[in-house]
Amino acid sequence: MTPLKDDDFKKIERALADAHRSRQTPQLGADWSFRVLRDIRREAGGQGQSMRSLGLDRLVWRTAAVAAVLALVFTGSVFLYTKGEAVDLTALLSGEFDATVPLE
Amino acid sequence: MPGHVLAGCPDFIGVQTLVSDDLEIIRRVLHGEIDRFAELIARYQQHVTRIVNRHVPSDRVAEVAHDVFVRAYTSLSSFSAQTPFEHWLSRIAVRTCYDFWRTRRREELPVSALTTEHQSWMDHVLAAESDDQFREQSRKREAAELLQWALGHLSAENRLVLTLVHLDGYSVREAADLLGWSVVNVKVRAHRARQLLRTLLLERKRQEDDTAQG
Repeated sequence: MTPLKDDDFKKIERALADAHRSRQTPQLGADWSFRVLRDIRREAGGQGQSMRSLGLDRLVWRTAAVAAVLALVFTGSVFLYTKGEAVDLTALLSGEFDATVPLE
Repeated sequence: MPGHVLAGCPDFIGVQTLVSDDLEIIRRVLHGEIDRFAELIARYQQHVTRIVNRHVPSDRVAEVAHDVFVRAYTSLSSFSAQTPFEHWLSRIAVRTCYDFWRTRRREELPVSALTTEHQSWMDHVLAAESDDQFREQSRKREAAELLQWALGHLSAENRLVLTLVHLDGYSVREAADLLGWSVVNVKVRAHRARQLLRTLLLERKRQEDDTAQG
């Protein structure tokens, strides 16, 4: 057997590369373009739906954050305004608890 | 070519117009005018088909090119316009071809798939003395089939790198950019893939000689 030399390999590789480059490019017709565009429209529809649900999610979380801040502000203001009347408030609450005792 | 020379060149002006047109179309598509994407398909269909045709079997070109455009559309918002759209699309095309081979079970063609004509093709190539004789051999069906047989034995990574660097003639840096891999990775793989191809051809030649002697 004749061993292949580096030059032999290079020659075969060059022939294979030429064969590779001379491949005919197939023509894709109008039907193909139509199908691609149809799938893209479908993708766009899916993306639109997911965008809408993403928008709803964002709205829920933003509302939750605003509600949490408002609750904190309200609690803080209640605490500040009722600071001097803590005893009264306790009394009020205890009175309320007393009021929950079942009536006979 | 220096910029001031290019500025007056009609081809350069044409390319610039095309690039700005692309950006305008992309902007409109992203604003919901999806049908404008058809213009990009019409403009780059040939370019994508040419790339895909070099990497996947002829009967799968339409399907893979289809995937390329759908992928381009879904990632259009990530297009930064730092490179021309054509180049950005080329990267998607090459990576889609890579995914095609990665997800496909490797179907190694047996040696028996090659006929005696394939077997003697290498001898004819080596014996070719003139350029005409050489070209005649490289145009033969056996050349393409032998190449497909050899590529069928390679992994998706080796196959893509071998095709880009050794068959298409891209530089290691260009291939790395298209594949999104490091230059070192492509360099190592290109060398390894070429050695594998040579081993396959050598085995093929040995079997051919054994058959001839037997």
